Amino acid sequence: MRQLFMIVGFDLRQRIRDRSVLLFGLVVPLALMGVLNLLFSGLDESTELQPVTVAASVPADDPLASAITGALQGIGAMDVTVREVPADEVRDRTADGDATLGITVPEGFTPALTSGEQTRVQIVEGDGGGLESDVLISVTRGTVDRLTAGAEATAAGRAQGLPPDELARIAREAAAVGDRIALAEGRAADHQLTSRGTLVAGQAGLFLLFTVGFGVLGLLAEREQGTMARLQSMPMRPSTVVAAKALTGFLLGVFATSFLLTVGSMLFGVDFGDVFSVAVLVVGVVAAATSLTFVVARIARTAEQANVVQSIIAVVLGMAGGAFFPIPASGWAATIIDLNPIAAFIAGLGITSGGGDVADLGTPLLIMVGFGATCLLVSRLIPDRAAA
Amino acid sequence: MSADTVPDESTRVPDAGDDVLVVRSLVRRFGGITAVDDVSFRIGQGETYGLLGPNGAGKTTTISMVAGLIRADSGATLVNGREMGPDRVDVKHHIGLVPQNLAIYPDLTGRENLRYFGRLQRLGREALDRRVDEVLELIGLTDRAGDLTKEYSGGMKRRLNIGIGLLHQPRLLILDEPTVGVDPQSRHAILESVEALSVEGMAVLYTTHYMEEAERLCDRIGIIDEGRIQAEGSRDELVRLTGGVDHIRLNGSGDIDVAADALRELPEVEQVDADRRTLYLTVRDAPTAVARIVTSATRAGLSLTDVEITRPDLESVFLHLTGKALRD
Repeated sequence: MRQLFMIVGFDLRQRIRDRSVLLFGLVVPLALMGVLNLLFSGLDESTELQPVTVAASVPADDPLASAITGALQGIGAMDVTVREVPADEVRDRTADGDATLGITVPEGFTPALTSGEQTRVQIVEGDGGGLESDVLISVTRGTVDRLTAGAEATAAGRAQGLPPDELARIAREAAAVGDRIALAEGRAADHQLTSRGTLVAGQAGLFLLFTVGFGVLGLLAEREQGTMARLQSMPMRPSTVVAAKALTGFLLGVFATSFLLTVGSMLFGVDFGDVFSVAVLVVGVVAAATSLTFVVARIARTAEQANVVQSIIAVVLGMAGGAFFPIPASGWAATIIDLNPIAAFIAGLGITSGGGDVADLGTPLLIMVGFGATCLLVSRLIPDRAAA
Repeated sequence: MSADTVPDESTRVPDAGDDVLVVRSLVRRFGGITAVDDVSFRIGQGETYGLLGPNGAGKTTTISMVAGLIRADSGATLVNGREMGPDRVDVKHHIGLVPQNLAIYPDLTGRENLRYFGRLQRLGREALDRRVDEVLELIGLTDRAGDLTKEYSGGMKRRLNIGIGLLHQPRLLILDEPTVGVDPQSRHAILESVEALSVEGMAVLYTTHYMEEAERLCDRIGIIDEGRIQAEGSRDELVRLTGGVDHIRLNGSGDIDVAADALRELPEVEQVDADRRTLYLTVRDAPTAVARIVTSATRAGLSLTDVEITRPDLESVFLHLTGKALRD
C-alpha cells in the first residue's frame, strides 16, 4: 500500500511539473465555458419580456369585449398598455410601430355571443413583436376560447328554454370558468438546471474524461519508456502499478471537476445545491470515467493511441450527455443517452440544483455505478494489446 | 531489511542447493510460437552466467520469467531457493533488473531516479541516502547527479540504468543486453563494473549477443537459439565442442601441391586443402605447431607471403551448433 501511494505521489508531481493537467483539466474547460456562455447567452432564461402597447378598438359598454382587453392588461409577466383607438386606425397604428398588437372587437359583440350568432375578433400583429407579440396573441386566443365556451353554454341553455337573465348568468360563469381552475406551475427536479448550469456541468463532465485519461496515459508511457518492466520487478504486486495509475487519474478527476464546478458556479452565477450531494455525484462520475480508462488501456498500444481513443470517447460521451446542448432523443436512443455517465452527472446536478439531496440521486448514481462495473468487466474480457 | 524480505527457510525448495538462481525446464509460448522451450541453468553466488544468442533467441523472455515480469507456462524459477513469480513480492526483493530499454525517467535527475526506485525497493531513509551516494560513485555519475537524465549521454544513461538495479544490493543482478547502443568507452566502463560485481559475491545473469562480452565476463555461458539452450559450459568447454582444432592459412608462391603433401606428413596437421596460391590447414594447437609448419612449407619450396592463425571462439561454437552466424 505504501508503494501505491509512492507511485501516486510521484505521478501527481510529474503531472504538476509538466502542467498538462493544469492546461487540459482546468484552463481549457474554463475558457470554453466562457466562450459558450457568450455564444448561448441569447438562450438564457433570464430574458425579460419588454413593455408593450396594444391598439384596441372595443365597443363601449360591451362587457365581454372588455374582458379581452382586461385579460391583456392582467398579464403579470409583462407590462401591457391598452390604448383604445377607432377601428380604422388599428391597422395603421400597428403598422407604424406605435403598437405591438392591434385588436378589433366588432360592435354588438356580447349580444352576438349570447344569441349564438357568428362574430369575429380581428388581430393585427406588428413587425418585430417577438416573444411579447406571441404572448399577447396567445392570451387573446385563450380569452376568446373562454368566451366561446360561454356562448356554447348559453346556446345549450337557450335550447332548454331558459330565460334571458339565466342565460346571461350562465354565459358569465362559463367565461369565468378558467379562474376557478388553478394551474399550479412547477418543474420536475431533474430539469432544474439553468442553461448556464448545464454549460458548467457539461464542460466539467466533458473534460473530466480527458483528465482521468492522464492515469492511463501514464501507464502506457511507462511501457513505452521501459520503466514498466523495472516497476514490475520491484517488490510489489503488478496490480499495484495499475491501481496507482488509476488512483492518480481518479484524484486528478475529482480535483479538476470540483474546481470547475466551484469556479464555474462563481463565474456564471450557478447554484448546484447541497455540497455533500454534489460531492457524491462528483465521486460517482469520476469513478465511472476512471473505469473507462481501464478499457482504453487495453485497447491502445501506445500513449498516442490512448490519447486519440480517449479524446474520441470524451467528445462522444460529452456531446451525447449534453455537454454543449441537450440532445433530443426518444425510444432506445434516449435510453442509451440516459445510460451515459455524463448525462447522469448533469441530471444529478439538476436534482441537487432543484433542492434534491443524496436520497434523490438514486437513478444517476445507479447509472454511474452500472457504467463503471460494465467498463471494468469489459476491460477484464478484452486482451491487452499493449502487453501482447 | 524489512520483515517480508527475510527469506523464509520453510519455503525453500530442497534441491536448490546453494545456487542463487535455479531455472528448471522453463517453457513460455506466445500463441503458436514457443519463445522459450525447456530452458534450464543454475547460477551460484559470485558467478556470472551469460545467455549468448542472436536477437529473437529467447533471452529477454527467459529473463522476464526469471525477474517475475511474466509467468512461465511450465517449469520453475528459484531465487535463493524460493519460487519466483509476478506476485512473489518477497522474492523480488532479491533481484535487481537492468532492462534492455533505458528504464529511467528523463525528466528527473540521476539522483531523483535512484531515490524513487530505492524507495520502491523499501530502503530506509539512511540506507537510501548511503546507497544512492555509493552507487553514484560506482557508476561515475556523482558530478552529474543533479542533472536531468535527458541531458545525459547514451553511456551515462546506461550506467544509471545499471546503477538503479544495484541500489538495493540484490543477490542476483539481471542485465539484459546492457551495452546495446553505447560507445566503446562507456561499454568498457560497464563491463568493468559488471566484473567488479561478481568479485563482491553477487550472482549475475547477463544476456548479450556480443561474443566478446560473454567471453570476457562470464564464468559459464549458455548458448541459446530458437528458445532452447544449445550448449552450456565455460568458454573452453564450449570451444572443445567444435573439436578443439585451429585453422592456419598459408599464402605464397611455389609448388602448392608439393607443399601440401609435405605438410600432410606432420603429425599436428589433420587436414590440408589447397587452391592456386593458398593452403588451408586444420591443426591441433596452432601456436605450438606453426613454427614446424612454416619450416616444412618453406623446405617444400613455398615462398610464403602471409600466415594467418584462426582459433575457435564462441562465434565458431555457435556456427558449429546451429549452422548459422551469431549475428544472423
